[in-house]
Amino acid sequence: MTVLVGYVPNSFGEAALSAAVAEAGRREESLVVVNMSRDDVLVDAHRAASEQLDRVRRDLAELGLAAEVRRVEEGSDAAEALLAVAAEVDASVLVIGLRHRTPVGKLLLGSNAQRILLEAGCPVLAVKPA
Amino acid sequence: MDNFNHLIAGFGDVLTPLNLLIALTGVIVGTAVGVLPGIGPAMTVALLLPITYGLPPTTALILFAGIFYGGMYGGSTTSILLNTPGESSSVVTAIEGNKMAKAGRAAQALATAAIGSFIAGTIGTMLIVLVMPQIVKFAVTLGAPEYFAIILVAFVGVSAVLGASRVRGLASLLIGLSIGVVGIDFVTGQQRMTFGVPQLADGIDVVVVAVGLFAVGEGLWVAAHLRRKAGEVIPVGQPWMGRDDWKRSWKPWLRGTALGFPFGAIPAGGAEIPTFLSYMTERKLSKHPEEFGKGAIEGVAGPEAANNASAAGVLVPMLALGLPTNATAAIMLAALQGYGIEPGPLLLTNQPKLVWALIASLFIGNTLLLVLNLPLAPAWAKLLQVPRPYLYAGILFFAAMGAYAVNGSPFDLYLLLALGALGFVVRRFGLPVLPLIVGVILEPLAEKKGRQALQLSGGDISGLLGGPVAWVAYAIVVAVLVWPLVSKLRGASGDHDDHHDAGTKAEVAA
Amino acid sequence: MSNSPTGPQVVKDRAQYALCAGLALLGGLLLFDASRIGHATTTNDPVGPRAVPVVLGIALVVVAAFYALDVSRGGHGEEEEGEDVDLRHPADWKTLAMLAFVFLLNAVLIQPLGWVISGTILFWGSAFALGNRHHVRGLAIAVALSLATFYAFAIGLGVNLPAGILQGIL
Repeated sequence: MTVLVGYVPNSFGEAALSAAVAEAGRREESLVVVNMSRDDVLVDAHRAASEQLDRVRRDLAELGLAAEVRRVEEGSDAAEALLAVAAEVDASVLVIGLRHRTPVGKLLLGSNAQRILLEAGCPVLAVKPA
Repeated sequence: MDNFNHLIAGFGDVLTPLNLLIALTGVIVGTAVGVLPGIGPAMTVALLLPITYGLPPTTALILFAGIFYGGMYGGSTTSILLNTPGESSSVVTAIEGNKMAKAGRAAQALATAAIGSFIAGTIGTMLIVLVMPQIVKFAVTLGAPEYFAIILVAFVGVSAVLGASRVRGLASLLIGLSIGVVGIDFVTGQQRMTFGVPQLADGIDVVVVAVGLFAVGEGLWVAAHLRRKAGEVIPVGQPWMGRDDWKRSWKPWLRGTALGFPFGAIPAGGAEIPTFLSYMTERKLSKHPEEFGKGAIEGVAGPEAANNASAAGVLVPMLALGLPTNATAAIMLAALQGYGIEPGPLLLTNQPKLVWALIASLFIGNTLLLVLNLPLAPAWAKLLQVPRPYLYAGILFFAAMGAYAVNGSPFDLYLLLALGALGFVVRRFGLPVLPLIVGVILEPLAEKKGRQALQLSGGDISGLLGGPVAWVAYAIVVAVLVWPLVSKLRGASGDHDDHHDAGTKAEVAA
Repeated sequence: MSNSPTGPQVVKDRAQYALCAGLALLGGLLLFDASRIGHATTTNDPVGPRAVPVVLGIALVVVAAFYALDVSRGGHGEEEEGEDVDLRHPADWKTLAMLAFVFLLNAVLIQPLGWVISGTILFWGSAFALGNRHHVRGLAIAVALSLATFYAFAIGLGVNLPAGILQGIL
């Protein structure tokens, strides 16, 4: 059983990461950090650069946590990718950053968070930046 | 200087609030389309050309100039941020520019590219103003045989020099010439290669050929081999440069301009040679040679200036002789003919107002580009976040729109698809595209001049020989054709060299 | 294309012969068409309309022969690479066929139904063929793009785009 967090290089991702670290400590479980980079666009704003992922690894190592940092590079759907990893590592909780979407925004742009909430097989912790 | 007065008058024609708005539209739309992957400036111009058709000539020229420079800037933005290898004239910019972007210096790379392009474009356009009358004086002395010989130089230049496979270049040229033959023979009124299809009687429009070969062909090719590759990170920021960057950039800008303009003016010069030369020169002259390969600003400043200067240089033979020397020029020629401007030695005498309006538009488009695109660069970068299906669907959408708008006939759309299939074949077999399009453009002119020359001599083939200019041109043609055989006999390696790859890759997507 | 060391080479070679055949065919077409034209030389035009097609036709056949020779010696042109192009797999004919179909559909429908409708079909269909799975979003963008270009270019700039059955509504 591990804590799985969906990471993106912005305040939402950082908030989710902090919450996930706390959660992993509370549950005494290991941590899996996943960053998804879409393969159907030339530029993906949610892709974490390798240096950023290395920094996350170092920070987690400093905290003494058993952690794995991954980047998924196939597929065009972040929600789907995250759920797949959740099934694979048998996650006990999924941690994601939550941003506000208007109803129209959700219709046109979709909401990964909404789909994760509805389709996850485990509890989901949705976090907002402080 | 009489020219100067004409130029001021041209500015007067062009600088109205409405026209400035139109120029702004052109620059914005041109940049947006130029940013799209695989769409170079030639393609941007071809795709957006039909939107200018409904306008009066001066307004159309202004819109067109904006699209032209916008397309060039969009292409260099993408090559800096993404290292796209498909942009022929920005290939060199990508070498250092992309490294700079990866090192977090995208802002400086974009700035030096934009400012360098502006300076080169301005100087280049001024050179056109200065040089044109001289070239026109020379052009007026050219008779039909000389013209014919010079066109032959252009033909062998594009097919036998670029890329190492002469056979493929010639094949491409011949296909292009065959497409050019389609239509009514201008002398006898005979229909040739139309096979009873009435819509082909007017020949196949160059813009349709360009859009079909480049846009639709590219779309089909990518569709067949779409790579699912994870999106890059692009550091987005307002372009700006520090004092040191300015100091290191200004000389490369000037050197690049000096290199680019003459090469642009030569038949079959193209933009690849001057940009490469500029890169080599900057590397040699740089005080920081170790930075080359890791993101040296001179390696962006010089080639970008060379690129834009060469684009201006290309206008000289195009306007003075009616001779396009690369794909962009070919499309511009078609555009100008559509606006009622007939390039050639008599252009300045027949249509002075339009020519000066064009030149004034170029200055304005160039300036607007700098003013507009420097702050907007982050927005253009955002365009690259659009998913690929939408990008390529968009390309096909604009291609269909443009092709239909040329004649209002669905037949052109069928033709477009057929030409797209040809574009696919060309990419599949690694044929160079430039000879094809040059063949289509120049076939009518070449044939006309050739037949005129023979007419003057009453059918005697020596009529093609003409005067000294023609002899020099023929000598060049023979030399270019014969050289590889000579070097083969001397034991040099044969046709299948490796720089064929770079040649084809770089210029298929022109 | 197979992945054996000699595999790709062999397949490429053979396909190139088809291109050579095509070139020769084009040459033949030119010669055939030229023979159909009457011989129409005058003093004004000693060469006539047949000259260039005949020259081209012969040149094409000759070049096709040299090309075939080059291919037989192992020459080949590089398939064009690109940012979005992955050449390791064979061509995706299904996607191509779908794109061609959608394109033809637009050509057929543009006049009766108008640009707004046919353009929407073109965009949505192409995006679908290229892998877009957000169908509602794709349709919304297609409609928006068609309407925007119609208003901006056809009505605003006088570009020749038909209104079709929506004539009078737009």
